[in-house]
Amino acid sequence: MPTNRVCASVSRRAQESPESTALWFGEERITYRQLHVRTTELSQEIDRLLPDRDRPVCVTVHKTPDAVALLLALFGAGRQVLLPSAGLGEQVVQELARRAGCSQILFLAPGDGSTAAARSVVPGRTPTAEPPGPENSLLFLTTSGSTGIPKIVPILRAAQDRFTDWAADAFDIAPGRTVLSYAPLNFDLSLLDVWTTLAVGGSVALVPADRSTDAGYLLDLIERTRVHLVQSVPMLFRLLTEASVSRGDRLPVRLEHAVITGDSTMADLLVRIRRGLPGARLYNLYGCTETNDSLLHRITDADVASAAAGMADAAVWKGLPLGRPLPGVRTVLVDEYGRDLEGPGTGELLVSTPFQTSGYLDPGLTADRFVPRAGAPAPFYRTGDVVTRAADGTLTLEGRNDFQVKVRGVRTNLQEVERVLARHPEVREAVVVAIPDTEAGVRLHALVERPRDSRLNSLDLRRHLSERLPRTSIPSSFTITDEPFPRTSTGKPDRKLIANLRHVKG
Amino acid sequence: MNSTLPLKTWLVDNFITDITPDQLEDDLDLIDSGIVDSLRLLRLISWVSDTYEIPMDEVPLSPDNFRSVAAIRAFVVEAKDPAAA
Repeated sequence: MPTNRVCASVSRRAQESPESTALWFGEERITYRQLHVRTTELSQEIDRLLPDRDRPVCVTVHKTPDAVALLLALFGAGRQVLLPSAGLGEQVVQELARRAGCSQILFLAPGDGSTAAARSVVPGRTPTAEPPGPENSLLFLTTSGSTGIPKIVPILRAAQDRFTDWAADAFDIAPGRTVLSYAPLNFDLSLLDVWTTLAVGGSVALVPADRSTDAGYLLDLIERTRVHLVQSVPMLFRLLTEASVSRGDRLPVRLEHAVITGDSTMADLLVRIRRGLPGARLYNLYGCTETNDSLLHRITDADVASAAAGMADAAVWKGLPLGRPLPGVRTVLVDEYGRDLEGPGTGELLVSTPFQTSGYLDPGLTADRFVPRAGAPAPFYRTGDVVTRAADGTLTLEGRNDFQVKVRGVRTNLQEVERVLARHPEVREAVVVAIPDTEAGVRLHALVERPRDSRLNSLDLRRHLSERLPRTSIPSSFTITDEPFPRTSTGKPDRKLIANLRHVKG
Repeated sequence: MNSTLPLKTWLVDNFITDITPDQLEDDLDLIDSGIVDSLRLLRLISWVSDTYEIPMDEVPLSPDNFRSVAAIRAFVVEAKDPAAA
C-alpha cells in the first residue's frame, strides 16, 4: 500500500524540522516532533484496541491535538476511518458504523482525553456494499443530512492528493504558514484546513469547540498564531466583524486569504468583511462533500459596491457569483427536462471534479446523484443547486431545486423536518418554511395545526424534534394554530403565503 | 441574581413567544432544543452582560454557561462574586 501523504509529511517534518509548529490548540503549541511522538504512541494503542485490521473503524472525536494524532495513527496503519459528526446520537452512530462495515467505535476516553478507548458495534444487518479498499480510500465522511441516516462518502486518496496540490497552491499553504481550523474534524472543510496543511508541512490553529462563539478569543488566536488563511461559513465572519465594532471597523489581524464557503453571503456582511480585512484577498468557494471544492470566485470591488447598494435596496443584491470552475473541474447546466443548456441560462448544476468520491457506500443512492455522461471519463454529480450562467460564463446560485436549504452551513431538507413534526400525536399538519434573515441567512419557521382541544406549545415540539433531528433542523420559531392552513388552488399548503405572513409579522 | 423571572421573560419575549415565562423550565437545554442558536447566543450573552453588569471581556465564556436558565443563573452568580461560588 502506498504511504499516506499526510503521515509521510508529518514524519518527514519531525525529522527535518522537529521544532516547527504542527498545531496550535488554545495556548498550547504542538511541534511536529511532538505530534509524531503522540501519533506513534497512539499507533501502539490502536494495535491493542483494534485487532481486526481488515475492517473500517468508526471514530467519534472532538477536535483536539490528540484527535488529530489518533487519525494520523490510523491512516498510517492503513486503517479505514469512518468519521461521523461528534454530535450524533448513539443510535445513528451505530447504524452508520454498521453500514460502513465497522466492528468497533474508537474514541478518546473522558478525563484528559489522551487515552484511546473502543466500544463494539452492535451487530445488525450486513453492510449494503463493499466499500473501496484501504489502498483507495482511508477516510469516510458523512453528508450533513437533516434527518435519517447521513450518506457515507469515501474520500479517495488520489483525489485528496490532487486537492492538496490545488489548495496549497491557491492559498499559499506551506511550511511557516498557519491556517485556521474552525470547522469540526468531520466536516469536509477539514480536508483543506487540517489535512492539506499538515500534508505540506504548515501549521494548523485548531479552534476548540467550546470557544467557537468567543469572538475575542478567535481574533486573539488568529493574530497570535499569525493565521494567513481562514476558510469558513459566513457565520464566523459575522461573529468576527461584529465583535470588532467597538474597536473600529478594521479587524486586528493580518489575514491574507479569507474564504467564504458553504452558504450565501448577505450584502451587509460582505461590506463588513471588506472593511474589516482591507488587505486580504476575499473569495467565495463552492463545493460539497461528494465532489469537494468545485468553483471559486475572487471577490472584486464591484461585488462589494453591489453589496453596498444592496443594503439600501435588497432587490439589487443577487448574491456573490459562484465564479468559475477550478482547474480540471467540468460543469454542465441542465434544464427541467434534463437537456443540456448551452450558453446563458438557468438550470441544475452538475459538476465533475478531480477531487470527487467514487460514489456513496450505498450504490442505490449513488445511481440517483452521480450520472455518467457521453465522452466524460468520470460521472457528474447532480448538486441539486439551481444556477444561472451569464454570457461571460460566470455562475450565480439561485436556490435549490427541491426542499433543501442551508441553515448555518448545514444542508437541511424542509420536508423531512415536516415529516418528523407530523409524527407528534398532537400535530395535524406541519409546514416548515425558510425565512430570509439578515443575521443568519435563513431561519426555519414552522406552522403547525393542532386539534382544537389540544394545548400543544412550541416547547413540546422542540422536545419532540431535538430527540430526532440535528439542532440546525429545529425551527427558530413556531406558529401553532387551530385553523386550517392557507392553500393553493391545487390544495397544497401555500408555502409562499405562509412564509410571507411570517415575514410581515417579524 | 435574585430571581430568574427577568431572564425567563426576556427569553420568552424574544424567542418562545407562544409560552409564558413560568412554563420555561430551569433545566431545559436551550441549545439542544434549538431555542438559542449561535447568533441568538450572542444576543443572549449581550443581554446578560448588560442586565447583570458583567464585563464579558474579563470573564471566560463558554456556550455551556448559557445552556439553560439554571446554567445562566450559576454563571451570573459566579461572575458577580467568584468567592461565593
